[in-house]
Amino acid sequence: MAAIPVLDVQGLKTYFFTRSGVVKAVDGVSFTLMPGETLGIVGESGSGKSMTALSLMQLVPQPAGRIVGGRILFQGEDLVQKSQSEMQEIRGRDICMILQDPMTSLNPVFSIGNQLVETVRQNKEPHQASLMDRAIELLQKVKIPSPEIRMSNYPHQMSGGMRQRVVGSIAIAGAPKVLIADEATTSLDATIQYQYLALLKELQAETGMSIIFITHDFGIVAKMCDRVAVMYAGRVAEIADVRDLFNNPAHPYTEALMRSVPNVDEEVEYLYSIEGQPPALDNLPPGCTFAPRCPYVFDRCNEAFPDLIQVGDRHSATCWKLAGK
Amino acid sequence: MATTFEQSTDAIIQLDNCQKYFPVTKGLIFQRSIGQVKAVDGISLQIREGQTYGLVGESGCGKTTTAKMVLQVETPTGGLIRFNGKNIADLDAADRKLYRSSVQAVFQDPWSSLNPRLKVGSIILEPLLANQPMGKHEARENLERLLRDVGLHNFHADYYPHEFSGGQRQRIAIARALSLQPKVIVLDEPVSALDVSIRAQIMNLLKELQNRYGVSYLLIAHNLATVRYMSHYVGVMYLGKMVEEAPTRELFTNPMHPYTKALISASLPSHPDIQREDLVLSGEVPSPLDPPSGCSFHTRCPFVLDRCPEEEPVLRELAPGHKVSCHLF
Repeated sequence: MAAIPVLDVQGLKTYFFTRSGVVKAVDGVSFTLMPGETLGIVGESGSGKSMTALSLMQLVPQPAGRIVGGRILFQGEDLVQKSQSEMQEIRGRDICMILQDPMTSLNPVFSIGNQLVETVRQNKEPHQASLMDRAIELLQKVKIPSPEIRMSNYPHQMSGGMRQRVVGSIAIAGAPKVLIADEATTSLDATIQYQYLALLKELQAETGMSIIFITHDFGIVAKMCDRVAVMYAGRVAEIADVRDLFNNPAHPYTEALMRSVPNVDEEVEYLYSIEGQPPALDNLPPGCTFAPRCPYVFDRCNEAFPDLIQVGDRHSATCWKLAGK
Repeated sequence: MATTFEQSTDAIIQLDNCQKYFPVTKGLIFQRSIGQVKAVDGISLQIREGQTYGLVGESGCGKTTTAKMVLQVETPTGGLIRFNGKNIADLDAADRKLYRSSVQAVFQDPWSSLNPRLKVGSIILEPLLANQPMGKHEARENLERLLRDVGLHNFHADYYPHEFSGGQRQRIAIARALSLQPKVIVLDEPVSALDVSIRAQIMNLLKELQNRYGVSYLLIAHNLATVRYMSHYVGVMYLGKMVEEAPTRELFTNPMHPYTKALISASLPSHPDIQREDLVLSGEVPSPLDPPSGCSFHTRCPFVLDRCPEEEPVLRELAPGHKVSCHLF
């Protein structure tokens, strides 16, 4: 435990100020990310997982959204305090992001080679070879067959899997410390997703970067992650090492969510289902945000949001049930 | 030679060697045909009463085209579809109307499949009123029954679709599909656009409705776990062809075709300790414009034999109800 975390997020709050009120998209999220570690942030739409990622990059949609509290320590420096031009130096080099839809992350009117060279030039790295060679090398790293030919292709000439590989090569161009994959494989077919996840693992082993997977899929977490944060309505419901989470889920939401996912490996007669739906973020219930859907709800749950309670080594959850009644 | 069916008695819909070829044309005015895309190339399957037939495969394998042929949105260019034993291409006007009301659909995206200008009550009742003239009172009763069936309240009838969440919209789409008391509902990726905690609700609802009304489903999905949970019978498609077909339990416990094995191996585990047989497929699905010779899977198959590129395998029954098209067996 002596290692210094590459990313240390404490009490992050990102709010949106809208005409109908304040939307607490991210409300006090804390986690740490060790070098070479893979963290999964799981949650449903509106749970704040993507907004957490955008906050890390300082890309919260302006002017409605604002980081109103907390710290994001990246290698000891607080990113929240940085100016946009200072962030420009960090984004794309030290912290990178791969988004869900590669067609919208790539520019349709420039060739792949053009876009890669632009990235390499931006990174101003002291590299011996020419920009073109470096770009081809990047395409080789993400295992694109015949990269020299692919350099002159435009995004629409490639398949979804290939495009996502190109996005991956742009992301790793600056040898990032942290790679954020926001639903990066959701739009890919099963066998292509499998290839892509294997590729990310290989790149991670090679470069020692840390990866944050933003996903709704526990399967990706089970396959890829070392540590998991489960988010619900803008807060972390539970955070644990991946095996602890799967073996003893402490938060009723985690438990219910796991039981409601169908399974390829075994036959299930009837799936558990969580009734109701996640709360609106501008109108949260007064106590625990999960209380209206929770099967174990008791008085205290409706009074105050629970503290983060330690339930094991590196395993904590926000639930009053764990505090003892 | 088309496959023969031994249990064709309880099949409601039977596809017999169905083909759908789309012409590829060149030129603006004098269009010349320069080839064809074999979107579906000889699919046979049967949908049995009160059961779910799951069709899996990656994008471009022809599963949606198959569903469209069942819905009569596309006409097969070869083969035939039988409904209660009758070829649906030769139905007379009355029977065609009966077929159309007996086969309904629920689509993937409940944001685009509901008319935003209509109230939910009108959306659900539209197919019913178009087919069976009825009084206001009777219509209201039907509407309330349908809303109850899918777990919505009576007052929801006066809301517009945008006032609902994704899961509730999918419930509305299901109520609309149920309104004509169909025999078969085509479910095209019914839960993949929904949130994780909502998916189980909708899948359970669909199963309950099947138990209550004995409706059959043709389920199109890419997620194997969903297919395993919902289906009684599963067909795996690759480049327009059926590569393996079996009862659900048999398919998942004893997959035979290398492509099915690869799909299962590529599906994400439910627990970090689950280690799967590592069966990484190289490359991507080839273009259906120019499919590989012989077995269309040979370009990606890890177990490829000499005869695979030359000779096309036929779908053969290797165990009761378990059909595989592969030279390995």
